[in-house]
Order: sequence, then structure tokens, then C-alpha cells
Amino acid sequence: MERAFGQTELTLDGDLRELARLALWIGRFCRSHSLDENVEFHLNLALEELFANAIGHGGCKDLPAAVSIRLSLAGREILAEFADRGRPFDPADAPPRDLGASLEERGAGGLGLHFVRQIACHIEYHRVNGWNRIALRLAI
Amino acid sequence: MIEVAEEMRSGWRVVAVRGRADAAAADHLESVLKTAVEANAKVAADFSALDYISSAGIRAVLQAARAAEGRQSEFAVCGLSPAAKKVFDMSGIQHVLRIHRELPC
Repeated sequence: MERAFGQTELTLDGDLRELARLALWIGRFCRSHSLDENVEFHLNLALEELFANAIGHGGCKDLPAAVSIRLSLAGREILAEFADRGRPFDPADAPPRDLGASLEERGAGGLGLHFVRQIACHIEYHRVNGWNRIALRLAI
Repeated sequence: MIEVAEEMRSGWRVVAVRGRADAAAADHLESVLKTAVEANAKVAADFSALDYISSAGIRAVLQAARAAEGRQSEFAVCGLSPAAKKVFDMSGIQHVLRIHRELPC
């Protein structure tokens, strides 16, 4: 298997306060690979939305070491591998968001995954040994 | 984590929000904006020092916009950075919000 260059890994507890640590870690990754603020913003957004979903809907709330994230560069893409030990959840199963609907009809649900789909150019899902494994590819 | 500073300017309550409007800060943001909307006829959320916003932050802004609509008060979002503006654009809620490049006051 090809080993991606400059890989780095972070483990997070099932607590939204971990977002501060996630943001610092993403910032360090981006600086060490000379990635701009725009890429950093998108990485934060995609990974926060997956993390918040795992806590809010996946049953990861208050679980220690609930989530593990790896980031690596592969050519002109960033590979973000997000793993959580919550309930099985394939992002592809979530219905697409109806942006044509009015605010009242639409509510605010599903917005996070909508963002993930907008940001990532490729999303892959596997359920492995009790973990959801979501691999995102983001163009630089 | 967000920091908030508020002041009155030409009849507008200006709520300046600084920092990261993420899922950990969304409840704080919602409560600050809704409190302002409930106590003032015109509220401008100044996001020019907002570094980051996620869907949780967008939801907080949306709740404030709904509260304003219910009271028929004005609620404007101003000073978004290009990256934050893109999140509003992706959300589709820019059509129901007043988004200004500059503060209205």
C-alpha cells in the first residue's frame, strides 16, 4: 500500500470542547505543508461537521477516544480519514438537502453533511470492526 | 470560542462577534444574538472579526433571524470574510437574511 507523505493522527474524546484541539492540530498540519487559510477553513468545517454528527447523532457523546482522524497529502489532494466508534452511519444514506425549500420547510437539519459534500471531491465509507471509517478527499 | 462586544450606533444595536462560531460556541452565539433581537428593534451582527463558522454557527444565526422575524425587528449580518460568506452561501440561508458588506450604521 502506498504510504502518503507527511501523515499525522489525532484522537478525540466525545466532547465538543475537543473542537479547539482539532482546530489547533489542523492549523499545524496546514502550516507544515504550506496550505493556505482557505484549505484550513474547509478542513475545519468538514471535520467539525463529521465530529459533531458523531457526537450529536452517533452516540459518541462522552465516549473517551471516540474519534480518530488522520490527515495526509497525496499529490494535489488532502486525504482526511475520519473514524468514529458510534452507530453505523454511511453519509451517502443521508438525503440530499433541498435548498429550494423555504426556511420553515427545511429547518436547519442536515446542513453539516451538506457542507461536507460541498467541500469534499470524493467521500468513501466503510464499517470496520465497530468503527465508521469515512475517507474524504479535498482538492487543494 | 467567541468573544462578544456590543454597542449602540445610530439606532442599531451592533453585536461584534470575534473568534470561532463552532459547535462548542453555538449556544453562546444564539443566546447573545437572540437577547439582542428581543431587546432592540434593529440589530446588526458584525462578523468582521469572525475567523470561522460551521453549520452550528449558521443555525444560531438562523434562530436569531427567526426571532427577529417573529418580532418584526430588523436583523442584519455584516462584515463576513470571504470564507465565512461562502459558508452562508452554501447553507442557502443567505436568501432569508440581510447580509451586508458594511455595517448599516
